Amino acid sequence: MTAVLRHSRVGLGHRIDDGTTGRATVRPEGRSAVALVVFGFFATLLALAAFQSVVLSGQFEFDSLQRRLEDGRDRSQLLRAEVARLESPGRILEVAGGRLGLVSPPTRFYLPSVVPGDPEAILAPPVGDPFSRASR
Amino acid sequence: MSRQPVGRASLGRGAATLVPNRETHLRFRRRAVFVGLMLTVVAGLFGWRLVSLQLLEPERFVAHGEAQRIKTLKLRAGRGAIVDRNGVDLALSVPGQSMIANPQRVEDPVRAARALAQVLGADSELLERRLSSDKSFVYLGRQVDSEVAAAALALRISGVYAEEEWERVRPGGDSALSILGRTDIDSNGISGMELVFDGLLSGTDGERVVEMGMRGASIPGGEYSVEPAADGRTLVLTLDRALQFEAERVLLDGVEAVGAEGGVLLAMRPDTGEILATATVRRSSDGVVGISSEHSAATWTYEPGSIIKPLTVSAILDRAVAAPDTVREVPPRLEVHDATFSDSPFHETMDLTLADVVRRSSNVGTILWAQDLGAEALHEQLREFGLGSVTDLDFPGEASGILHPAGVWSGTSLPTIAIGQGVSTTPLQMLTAYAALANGGVRPAPTLVLGTRDDGGVFEPRRRGPALTVLPAAVAAEVVAMMEQVVASGTGTRAQVPGYRVAGKTGTAWKVLPAGGYGSEGHRSYVSSFAGFLPAEAPRLAVIVVVDEPTGGAYSGGRVAAPVFAEFARFAVRQLRIPSAEESVGLEREGRVMALTPARHAILREAAEVARLEQSGEMVAAPATGG
Repeated sequence: MTAVLRHSRVGLGHRIDDGTTGRATVRPEGRSAVALVVFGFFATLLALAAFQSVVLSGQFEFDSLQRRLEDGRDRSQLLRAEVARLESPGRILEVAGGRLGLVSPPTRFYLPSVVPGDPEAILAPPVGDPFSRASR
Repeated sequence: MSRQPVGRASLGRGAATLVPNRETHLRFRRRAVFVGLMLTVVAGLFGWRLVSLQLLEPERFVAHGEAQRIKTLKLRAGRGAIVDRNGVDLALSVPGQSMIANPQRVEDPVRAARALAQVLGADSELLERRLSSDKSFVYLGRQVDSEVAAAALALRISGVYAEEEWERVRPGGDSALSILGRTDIDSNGISGMELVFDGLLSGTDGERVVEMGMRGASIPGGEYSVEPAADGRTLVLTLDRALQFEAERVLLDGVEAVGAEGGVLLAMRPDTGEILATATVRRSSDGVVGISSEHSAATWTYEPGSIIKPLTVSAILDRAVAAPDTVREVPPRLEVHDATFSDSPFHETMDLTLADVVRRSSNVGTILWAQDLGAEALHEQLREFGLGSVTDLDFPGEASGILHPAGVWSGTSLPTIAIGQGVSTTPLQMLTAYAALANGGVRPAPTLVLGTRDDGGVFEPRRRGPALTVLPAAVAAEVVAMMEQVVASGTGTRAQVPGYRVAGKTGTAWKVLPAGGYGSEGHRSYVSSFAGFLPAEAPRLAVIVVVDEPTGGAYSGGRVAAPVFAEFARFAVRQLRIPSAEESVGLEREGRVMALTPARHAILREAAEVARLEQSGEMVAAPATGG
């Protein structure tokens, strides 16, 4: 005994039995819908992957910036100490007497902070920006 | 459809290979059942494991997972800097590295120790002992150079790491060391300001909790929280770095020039009590004079000698025992009980005014008037000047000096104390007393701290101690006029500063010998000093110079300490922009100002803004507190 199985739906497409030939056909709109679903699925996956990549990249950037910030702070503190060391009178005297070979004078002369007898009139402030190209 | 038994006979040729017999069928079924059972068992195991992981003890595995992913990173809080009055860094913390190890993970301690010893410059045996210990954390080198740390890490020894930590540095070297103090290797204050204000300078560490994946990268959207580190506050001292350096330099030269054992130089603003510079130098056992780490201006006591005379004279004037121009006969020698007091240089009996007594630094004249004054009055006045008690400086180890109550004074106490022997003071006490004379009789509370700054730079001033009126302004002015004559034509002419009126007094005190007593003539040790202020008409700078045990022919305060005073003062008036009498002419006119440094200008501008805000009620100054 043999039996012919005839399904109205086989596979992914819609099959239509015309009743005379026994052949089944798939509706075009159904095929498009399936394609759209598949496309949408993969597009969503791609979008998710891209988004994940962007997020990861951002996080990496964030971590990197944070490290740079900490390094910058450390560097700033080191430079601050170095500036203070270079400006210290002891170091200046050491360089002057050592590397530059300068000798302290036997007596010191101090310039007055206010010159006695200087003109009473206050100098007028410069007009405009004295450093601009136009005024040169 | 009915199922019929199919016999071998009815299937024809080849049917034996196509149709399974009953045994084969049974064998297949047994195998199928066995495989099914095995699969069921495996599935059961998986299921059980799943239940075990998810339901029975999930916390353990969640914790294990979190331990792998979630890291807590320590955020190191920086110790606050110590800056001078112009904002210049005197002590600050910089990032450094220490080499650490987990001995449990070091494979070959002997070899590792040898390799590390070369790089770190440490003892190989010591490193070997540490690397062989059963601990899980040991230090191999604290606060090493970054290059050294990099070289040690380049050895790629398992279990050896570098750890970041703060290192305290003083960019100016040993300058102001006695004030700044020191910290231990863990940045805890152990002396000086580092100790006194340790609570303010120390910060609070923070932490960052972050979920990390492979190679230490943060997991986006993972756990993340930050508790920021709070850095310590910046301590703003009253010191001026340039003045401090100059004070140390001139004092070193001065002490070296007279072959003394040491010396102290202290500079103060008489109106506020702010200490601008304080230097202590000491000769070491090998004969080299260097900057001392001890703040002797506050911790060392000595018998001040003649620089106490202006204080004695203040009491004489205040109690109306005499006036500056009161004349009396002063002999060259005076015997009181079993002691003989004399003047140096020797003079015949002569008439001297009280002003002359101060100008010539006459011991006999001072004693004669002090006897008229009386012990109680002298003691009371000296106490009011602050002798015999600690100041408001709040410095560790500050000495109070010795000033016994008048009730226990012996017969010679009054004459000796009147001329600065038999009483001990610190240089700080003497300078504060002189500041009171310069400040119209108001004794300021000496201070080393202006205030503190937070991370944002907001300044919080420190509340000063109360200023005390110890003398009427008129009396103070009379004493100042006498002291001006000391510098103009008396014993302190070497303290003159060109362009400025200077008021001061010399002192040459006998030093108590270790065995007791002062020793006989020719075997005495001296403490020479000069204290004064300028400009005398409106004092803005008070300075005391004390030289301990000068040797050689010159040992008087006028020859040993006064020149040091003058050299320092010449520099200080420039640094502090104190105009000379000539420069002051016309300064009151609008637009004429002393030249200012940018830092000084910024401070004045900020002070003006704070004053404006306080006046308008927008800001209330809160007191800073020591740690």
